[in-house]
Amino acid sequence: MSPWEALALLLLLATGLLVVTLRNAIHAALALIANFLVLAGVYVALDARFLGFIQIIVYAGAIVVLFLFVIMLLFAAQGEVGFDPLVRSKPLAALLSLGVAGVLLSGLLGLKLAFSQDLQGGLPQALGPLLYGDWLLVLLAVGFLLMAATVVAVALVQPSRPLDALRPEERKEEVLR
Amino acid sequence: MNPYPLDPYWMVALKALLVVVGLLTAFAFMTLIERRLLARFQIRMGPNRVGPSGLFQPIADAIKSIFKEDLVVERADKVLFVLAPLLGVVFALLAFGAIPFGPPGSFFGFQPWVVNLDLGILYLFAVSEMAIYGIFLAGWASGSKYSLLGSLRSSASLISYELGLGIALLAPVLLVGSLNLNDIVNWQKENGWLFLYAFPAFLVYAIAALAEAARTPFDLPEAEQELVGGYHTEYSSIKWALFQMTEYIHFITASALIPTLFLGGWTMPFFNVPYLWMFLKIAFFLFLFIWIRATWFRLRYDQLLRFGWGFLFPVALVWFLITALVVALGLPRVYLVYLSGLSFLALLGATFYSPKPVRKGGGA
Repeated sequence: MSPWEALALLLLLATGLLVVTLRNAIHAALALIANFLVLAGVYVALDARFLGFIQIIVYAGAIVVLFLFVIMLLFAAQGEVGFDPLVRSKPLAALLSLGVAGVLLSGLLGLKLAFSQDLQGGLPQALGPLLYGDWLLVLLAVGFLLMAATVVAVALVQPSRPLDALRPEERKEEVLR
Repeated sequence: MNPYPLDPYWMVALKALLVVVGLLTAFAFMTLIERRLLARFQIRMGPNRVGPSGLFQPIADAIKSIFKEDLVVERADKVLFVLAPLLGVVFALLAFGAIPFGPPGSFFGFQPWVVNLDLGILYLFAVSEMAIYGIFLAGWASGSKYSLLGSLRSSASLISYELGLGIALLAPVLLVGSLNLNDIVNWQKENGWLFLYAFPAFLVYAIAALAEAARTPFDLPEAEQELVGGYHTEYSSIKWALFQMTEYIHFITASALIPTLFLGGWTMPFFNVPYLWMFLKIAFFLFLFIWIRATWFRLRYDQLLRFGWGFLFPVALVWFLITALVVALGLPRVYLVYLSGLSFLALLGATFYSPKPVRKGGGA
């Protein structure tokens, strides 16, 4: 293990630990950004440059901003003590994530990671035909899944009737919801 | 694989330093130039007391903002409160290094850019996405609801316009077939400037870049009278100056990126001198944006978001699909030039024949 690999490992573990131990949700989200940035660095070092930049743009950029918006709108970001909606859920969460890690590892062990294609350092010119050729169905399936999730989320927050058809006290309730 | 020669590391470091120092100096004097120009637009003098025709005004401003009292709100998150402006400045400075200023070897035998990345445009996106955090954290760490609301406003509009910006850039990328900024400039040198091929994308990009730099039609953080300011309401002295610095660096970077991506970069069909045309094009866009600030109104927040999502985003998407169709079917690229011309005529027509706004609910 080279010093750089050791540094990356250390940083990934430290920031990951901070994400689950920091009491303030905003600080935890910041640690998550640091984690994603280090991960992007690892991708770039492994010659997967496109993946590295996408990691920064999509995850460190868009998704964590979304997290931060949700955290703020839910008032979970009180400075002194974090607001814990699920009391004593940490052991369960640890158990579940260990289980997921086990599943992923067992999946990886049976996989033969040998590529016949030259990916040119992970440039989009080489990745594009692969992604939209051989793996097109998988891509479409993932896209469909995300769209279904979005539609469900929008449907869940719809008021039972249009807002202007509600009585005043009902409307107040809907706005607060 | 890489046709562009690499520099030794000490040279890269030196050039990075040069870019940082150059941008900070440009920031200081842009404040003066902007105030003088605004004054000229409004038929007054502007700052002209400190030094010959006000030339030392930026130095006086710097001294003033450093020695002002540095207030920190009681309920502020002390660490993030300091970290936020620094993050903003760092990520603003990072973007400029990818812009080429001349052909390879024209910087005293070295390369006239700091980094030459295969994924140059993705790099620019990554950096500008991360720049949102400076704004976001500033508002949250201030411990004041007005700052928080301001930062929510600013970051929501930044994210919205980032989408239009990104999709507008897809059309030129499809035509060139590369994300490298040098490749894009060289393609334009051979085939003609990209705004001829993608006029709507150029327009959308320029408007979205204004929004990204929080310049006038979109400068909600400056709206003290209506909105109690933006994310930097609670900041004072040098930290506030750092936010101004961030905004001006974004402004200068945007003015350099628009010509690089759509107007041929450092090239020119005649009298081709490296650096000269690039600096002239940057100066032109800086002037244009100051002009817009002097003459234009500020959009209301919901109008701003509606314009971003309801107009810029669809226009960019449609133009991307048209370009994709032309590229995929192997049609001649001249069709895109004709379509660009048509869209320009449509824009002109819409400007001249737009109906007068109807005032709802009576009133004078």
